[in-house]
Amino acid sequence: MTKPGAKEIKAIAEVAGVPVSPEEAARIADSIGPAFEGFAAVAGTLPFDLEPATFLMVQKATT
Amino acid sequence: MSAELALMSLVSIAQGIADKRFSAREATQACVDRIARWQPRLNAFIAIEPDEALASADAADSALAKGDGGGALHGVPLAHKDMYYEQGKVVTCGSKIRRDFIATTTSTALKRIKDAGTIRLGTLQMAEFALGPTGHNSHFGAVHNPWHFDHVTGGSSSGSGAAVAARLTFAALGSDTGGSIRGPANFCGVTGLKTTVGRISRAGAMPLSQSLDTVGPLARTAEDCALLLGLMAGADALDPTAVAGPIPDYLAATRQPIAGLSIGVPTAFYVDDLDADVARVLDDTIAVLKREGARMVRVELPDQQQLSAACQLVLAVEAASFHKRWMIERPQDYGPQILMRLQNGLAVPGVSYLEAMRWRGPALSAHLAAMAGVDAVLAPVAPFPAPTLSESDVGNGPGAEAVIQRLTRFTRPSNYLGLPALAIPAGFTPRGLPVGMQLIGRSFDEATLLRIGAAFQRVTDFHDRVPEFS
Repeated sequence: MTKPGAKEIKAIAEVAGVPVSPEEAARIADSIGPAFEGFAAVAGTLPFDLEPATFLMVQKATT
Repeated sequence: MSAELALMSLVSIAQGIADKRFSAREATQACVDRIARWQPRLNAFIAIEPDEALASADAADSALAKGDGGGALHGVPLAHKDMYYEQGKVVTCGSKIRRDFIATTTSTALKRIKDAGTIRLGTLQMAEFALGPTGHNSHFGAVHNPWHFDHVTGGSSSGSGAAVAARLTFAALGSDTGGSIRGPANFCGVTGLKTTVGRISRAGAMPLSQSLDTVGPLARTAEDCALLLGLMAGADALDPTAVAGPIPDYLAATRQPIAGLSIGVPTAFYVDDLDADVARVLDDTIAVLKREGARMVRVELPDQQQLSAACQLVLAVEAASFHKRWMIERPQDYGPQILMRLQNGLAVPGVSYLEAMRWRGPALSAHLAAMAGVDAVLAPVAPFPAPTLSESDVGNGPGAEAVIQRLTRFTRPSNYLGLPALAIPAGFTPRGLPVGMQLIGRSFDEATLLRIGAAFQRVTDFHDRVPEFS
């Protein structure tokens, strides 16, 4: 997964309805960037049939 | 007598009031006196209500005299993180935006504790909207660590950590979304329980991240946490995510020995780049648990850095979603650091967020498989003792952001996996700053964590030490 740069973040924020300045977008990119990098090995590898509710199934299976 | 009462545990004070060895008024007066002394230095409270508390204590004593005082916490004065809605009361959430917000409902967790007979002392400080791991708050001022006033308490349950440590309240509710109970418990030298996602209803608790938020107590002992958990746990019609089913006898669990239990010590991540004092306390804790009969084994956990990263993505998006309206309408009313953290959520595309959510199941499955041979995992709560308020203040330079990121490095994985974790005081630095450890368990197995924590506290005195006012 590629971490979004300041330019992309500015565009995403605008679409979300909460516009940010170029400086703010650059700061956000620096701040959230490590999370994207940390998750990069997982992103794009998940099987087709996997959905978020699997978490609850796994959690309840342990009780 | 009054001063000594404030130093008692929650379980002991409740029993003493029930046995009429002392009154609710005496217990409440003891807290009120300590609050008056410590508050100017700690800033642990947002609201202090001594007159109302003492009047409630008198009513509790009268009820008890008439044989009407059956609650497990009858007449016990408590204060909680100011994010639990109580009908008719101001709930600030540590913010300017909600400075005058009056709740129209009462949170389920708070109601269940109140129904056990507790008395309200006031409300406790917190990071603005529970979004900050240090204890800074630009609206209400920073909370100071009772062991060293120039050090942080940890956050976001900053007031809860400081007030329990200084014996201003016998226990306090906190909340843990990325480490907000365990961090303050660790830095303030108290016991804090992050519960399994679904163990306690979140109805009426200020939301930050619906997937990660958990309610839990900070108290002096594991036994105290067990008592509070037993009162709060269970299904709730107001929160469909609260899981139904039998509630274990948590107090009974704290009386069990730990001989024969297996406790894992991670081979990586949680033991990397530790401050020397934290490494020493980890070794000491292992030695104590071994002496008590636990089998200490090395455990190889899946990549915890990935879990931590996934936690950040989920938290960022969900927090930004809750706050979007105010981010548009009232951005100037947020503290600058909080607004910046909320803005991070704008940068995460929907697909990335959902990938992080979809991975939760297999990640939990892999983690539990790695824990197959152990009953719990032992790890530090943070890689270093409490930093100073100055070095963790983002306004003081770029170095502070790195400190803040490391503060929650060891806590975020359990939030992402929804696992329970118990932070216990486990030692001190030569300067007298507390160092804690966390026990991470399987989903819904808080009982084993409390059992281990209580066994540790039976043979150590770190949880009994009280900061001196200077």
